[in-house]
Amino acid sequence: MTLANQTSKLLRISELLYLLFTALSFYLLIASRTGEAHTVWQVLHPAFNSTLFIATFLLFTIIFTAEKTTHKLLFIISHSILIHSLFSIIFPAGDLSGQQMILGRTRLVFDNAVLHGWTGWRPTMPVSTFVFEMFKGINLQAALSTILARMFSLDLLYVHLFLVPVLWGAFIPVASFLTTKTLGVSENASILSSLLVSVFPYATYFGAISVPNSLGFIFFFYSLYFMLRHLSTNDSKTTYYMVIFSVFSFLSHYLTGIMSFSLLFLTLAFKTYEGEKKPSSINARILLVVSSVVCLSLLPLSFIYMKFFDSTSNAVFTLDKFYELPLQEIVGLFFLGELVHGFDLKTILLIIVGPLLALLSMIYQLYNLRRNPNDKIRIRIYFLFTAFLIILVDYRILKLFMSGLPINEERLWVFSGFIAAPFVALAIFAILSSLKTFVKARSPSTITFAGLKTMSKSDVFRVVSLLLAINILIPVLLGGWITFSLSAAYPHVAPLQTTWYELEAVKYIEENTYEKYNVIGDIWTIFAGEVIVGINNPRAYYFGEQSKIGHDLFVNMSRDPSPRWMLWSMNYTNTKVAYFIVTEPRVGTEEFNEVLSKAKENSLQVYGHPEGFGNGKLYVFSYRKE
Amino acid sequence: MIGSIQLHKLERSITNDSHFLATLISCTLIFTIYVNLSTIQSFAIGIIAFVLYFMINAIFLAQAFFEKEDAFSSLMFGVLLLIMLLGFVGWLVMIIHNLDVPMFTMVLLITTTISSLSNRRMKNKSDTR
Repeated sequence: MTLANQTSKLLRISELLYLLFTALSFYLLIASRTGEAHTVWQVLHPAFNSTLFIATFLLFTIIFTAEKTTHKLLFIISHSILIHSLFSIIFPAGDLSGQQMILGRTRLVFDNAVLHGWTGWRPTMPVSTFVFEMFKGINLQAALSTILARMFSLDLLYVHLFLVPVLWGAFIPVASFLTTKTLGVSENASILSSLLVSVFPYATYFGAISVPNSLGFIFFFYSLYFMLRHLSTNDSKTTYYMVIFSVFSFLSHYLTGIMSFSLLFLTLAFKTYEGEKKPSSINARILLVVSSVVCLSLLPLSFIYMKFFDSTSNAVFTLDKFYELPLQEIVGLFFLGELVHGFDLKTILLIIVGPLLALLSMIYQLYNLRRNPNDKIRIRIYFLFTAFLIILVDYRILKLFMSGLPINEERLWVFSGFIAAPFVALAIFAILSSLKTFVKARSPSTITFAGLKTMSKSDVFRVVSLLLAINILIPVLLGGWITFSLSAAYPHVAPLQTTWYELEAVKYIEENTYEKYNVIGDIWTIFAGEVIVGINNPRAYYFGEQSKIGHDLFVNMSRDPSPRWMLWSMNYTNTKVAYFIVTEPRVGTEEFNEVLSKAKENSLQVYGHPEGFGNGKLYVFSYRKE
Repeated sequence: MIGSIQLHKLERSITNDSHFLATLISCTLIFTIYVNLSTIQSFAIGIIAFVLYFMINAIFLAQAFFEKEDAFSSLMFGVLLLIMLLGFVGWLVMIIHNLDVPMFTMVLLITTTISSLSNRRMKNKSDTR
């Protein structure tokens, strides 16, 4: 058997083992599925981390072989889908977060309960607000989820839960691969970067929840790829794609849209700089710096001007934090942002190590390129470096100099992760290449076990340890890095996720009520309602998450569970039946028992199972209008 | 190797779209999806129709817009573009009216028409070159 055959056989065995461990990891996720837990870590099968680590280790060893690029990418895609599916597989209603709110609104489109999309046209609505609402990412995602659910003939819940994990898993590694390839590096280094996107915990988290912002991140990454291509080509198609992906990024979410357009202007500035730098170098440089500052200011300013479209927006520039917070905290916020609040050292390290390594790698690349000013890659690396700095500065501006922002500024970590991934891959690949060169320089061209006998002991030790480092140690370290990053990506503290009995109660009401009804419940009940019937559905009305009326009704019902509040809610929502849901783990045993006894005193009728749902943890009371 | 050649052949026959055969298959799939959604509501039929619909239209778009890329990247771009097109047309129809079953079928038809015409336009362009 030739050496090539042996290598090929070993590769096939590694691939089979990889597939086996990935399938096992999926199985362990399914086995961990639960209807009552706070976090994924509480219920995750103890063997999951080990199987994921082994699968990742095997994947890294496959990446460094001469296997076809397509096969490697397909393996990485399956791995990426796996690590982004924890919420969707383990929790029956996904993560208790914005994604359930988005589902609540998408459900209305799916059930044809609204016209013209979410918050469609109303005569009292100002045109600017309608335009703003129309372009909100929720509408694009609602349309996409509805179309896919109808194509599959499947309930919207499943399509919604897996929409982003699958799209992210499939397209983000490819985007990272293509972006790294534009930097003129080898295919293996590009492949490495497509797997290394998973070491950025914020990126992993956003890839695991189905919200418009996550969709926007996908389109942003592709717009970034076409921007890099545009820098060294005059192909009109590339320009169109760059604009189209930026527009889609904007349609998905304004944050990713504004960021895409900021970088698009930066691309144009770099392109102009390339054209002008020879005749007037200083002017071109000044223009480039000014353009970069303008691009940098677009994101903070967009939040300020958002109030023209959205009356609820109240973002302002302020120095309040400098007056209110101690210097130590200001410094902490400047360097680490939100991480200074309650994150342990391991999590902080896992979040910052990637961007830090990328920054060092960028500086090293720029240092190397200074001797080669005509290199085509130079402009792309300068562009990415500037984009990375813009994101770092924007994050500090939003964090320290602004308040009342409609979003959490930590989302900017995802952008920096995308830009950092190729440079982390370049750094690791450079280390690997140096090690390989070192081994080659200090050993015969082919080493056999028999040949080792002729070498001195110290040479044997050096060669064997370097080979182990390249083939075992580095894949182990990288596999460990991705596995550990997962622990920083998925939260360790969270409220009780939507439980199986909350879902069962909501489904039971929906399946057994034939008139219009409304449900009075706490915010957790509203989240469960959003999963099954949507929010503010005129036929099955759940009050909004931030509805004061809904909140007050629940408080009043908890204090005085009587028909009068239910009658009031029926009149308010124009419904025939009202339900009141109270859940023990949400309100506490004492209050729960008190509500039950008062409800019985007031002759409220228990609905559904007389002994309650979830072995008595949840009770539903009903009242029908005469 | 044989599998790869067969896949390439399949891709060629879809992009050739002789006598609009691939487009007609795509339209038949839309009809199947519509009937499945209105009467049978089978997930198995849905997934088969979905895969075939995506394969045909993604290959159309890949051929039309990303012909110069390598096969894998081209297909990935085709799929992404199809998702974007479905999302965009769906969004537009939803904003104008809503996305009930007939409107949803209309979205699929519009998407197929755009994909098929783009493919044909690019094919004619490359044939005349």
